[in-house]
Amino acid sequence: MPGARVIAEHVTRAYGASVVLDDVSFTIEPGELVALTGASGSGKTTLLQLIGSLDRPTSGSIVVGDTVVERLAHPARFRRETVGFVFQLHHLLPTLTVSQNVQLPLVAAGMRRRERARRARELLGEVGLADRERAMPGDLSGGERQRVAIARALAGEPRLILADEPTGALDSVASRRVWELLAAARERHGATVLVASHDATLVQRADRGLRLVDGRLVEGAMPPGEAGAIPGQDAAAAPGARPERGAASAAGARPEQGAASGAGTASGGAAL
Amino acid sequence: MTALFAPFSSLRRRPGRTLLTALGTALGIATIVALLAVADGAEHAAGQFYDLGASDLGLFQRAAADPTTSVLSMQLIPQLRRTPGIVDATPLLLLVGDVPRDPGAIVFGADPHGFLTQRLVFFSGHMLSSPSQIVVGDQMARQLHLSVGDTVSVHGHRLTVVGIYHIGIAYQDAGAFVDLPLAQSIAGMQGETTTIAVKLALDERPAAARRLIARRFPGLTVIADGQEASRAGANAQLVANAALVIAVLALLIGGIGVINTMLMSVVERRTEFALLSAVGWSRPQVAARVLVEGVVTTVIGAAIGIPVGVLGASWLVSELGAQEFVAPRTTAWGLGRGLLVGVLIGVLGGLYPAWRAARVSPAQVLAQG
Repeated sequence: MPGARVIAEHVTRAYGASVVLDDVSFTIEPGELVALTGASGSGKTTLLQLIGSLDRPTSGSIVVGDTVVERLAHPARFRRETVGFVFQLHHLLPTLTVSQNVQLPLVAAGMRRRERARRARELLGEVGLADRERAMPGDLSGGERQRVAIARALAGEPRLILADEPTGALDSVASRRVWELLAAARERHGATVLVASHDATLVQRADRGLRLVDGRLVEGAMPPGEAGAIPGQDAAAAPGARPERGAASAAGARPEQGAASGAGTASGGAAL
Repeated sequence: MTALFAPFSSLRRRPGRTLLTALGTALGIATIVALLAVADGAEHAAGQFYDLGASDLGLFQRAAADPTTSVLSMQLIPQLRRTPGIVDATPLLLLVGDVPRDPGAIVFGADPHGFLTQRLVFFSGHMLSSPSQIVVGDQMARQLHLSVGDTVSVHGHRLTVVGIYHIGIAYQDAGAFVDLPLAQSIAGMQGETTTIAVKLALDERPAAARRLIARRFPGLTVIADGQEASRAGANAQLVANAALVIAVLALLIGGIGVINTMLMSVVERRTEFALLSAVGWSRPQVAARVLVEGVVTTVIGAAIGIPVGVLGASWLVSELGAQEFVAPRTTAWGLGRGLLVGVLIGVLGGLYPAWRAARVSPAQVLAQG
């Protein structure tokens, strides 16, 4: 199944007077691997939650594939059939085995036990943990747990993978492995992948980047109608961009430059 | 099916939490079982108050508050004996609070030769034969350390214990029998009694005899057994109502305990439910999982709570010194009811926690890490 196109149009999310996302618009093409960067509190997690239907925007619209996310009557079904989540803290259930954790989305989908187990075995093989299917999460290293979380995210054959700081708690070797797996998921499964990360070196491997500063998209905006535009277009020209505050580099087209400028802008924490 | 996905592994791999949840549930179920047993015992004891031993029917004054306040004329007895289907009728006069050393004991004034006293089984001494004598029940003898030859004061009369009996009726085993004229003298009821025990012919149906007596002797309440005690007087009705109130209170207390325990478990596991929601579990699926776990935990809790409740009821009654009058009743039906109620409470008590679990916001919980 091909990856899903993601279109955000003037998305705003506010909690009372506090505006977390402010008029964010962009498009991610099917099969793209996009890095979402920004300092802590810049709105990365909120944006991923809105795209994944864990939350609803205060205003604006998000379309994933053919689905208008904020109008979903059954968001759980959408998450089960379309989205795979990877969280920074992996959130594996400690009382279930590695295989059972991977099977969770398949249980919700009503897949038969034997088929679930077979699918989990396959996915654990893909992430290099074929021999750990009966292990408990507590017996795994941080990197291994995150690989299990990736396998779980892939279980429902999602068209979109949303990863929130998946390498945030890992060392550099484990981080690289996780990134390779996400890239492989895109290659092998054709999924669109959106990764929120602080890690400048890993983000350089993305097709292009989006950067948030104080809830506003300052880099990588690609509004609807410009689908297929060159990744990493000049952010200064994009709607919602703030060239005076963010780096107006061609993020993604020349990732090295983007990373350098982003790091400089956000005290090294929001590098692209 | 989602609800049945690895419920036992979740419970087994967190033994501490499972045990504490089960114990919380067990406490609720134990409370229910204990209070229901005591309530049943109290109701049964109230029924025994009206149980006239070997009689087929007991006659009381209609609308009397309880048997001790019933007043019947002795002239009824020969009339009753002449009634078709009735073999014998004998008076029984109840005295309360006349034994200073045991104020709760009931003293029964009876005809020593009547059919009612024939049922007393003596394992020491014999039936009384004069107004200065008394026979005491084994429980009373034990409590007051009495043996044949000792004396007991009843309303200022010093009576000699000539026999110790057992009849199997709590009030009578914890009380004593004296000669009817003495009892009438003490109560100031010459020519009267509180109750009359009636013995029917073998081929006489109690229902038919009851109808006949009710028709011939208006103003009497006819009781066939202790289960009908509530018809006999206001106090018995009061006991029955009190038992019902206790039962309802037990359900409320136990139910709240179970709900509270399960709710705490849900609060503790918010991240888990948020994760399930994030990976595509619908609200009904999450709720069903919580319910199934709740029922499993409740069954474990019931297995612990039922025996604890049974033992606890006996301990409670013993500590309160009420064992003479209230024996907690633990029948198979009572235990089955405890289990049934426990599981029912597990389901009903799990509904609100399940609803809460299903509404956990994955966005809020997962964002907090």
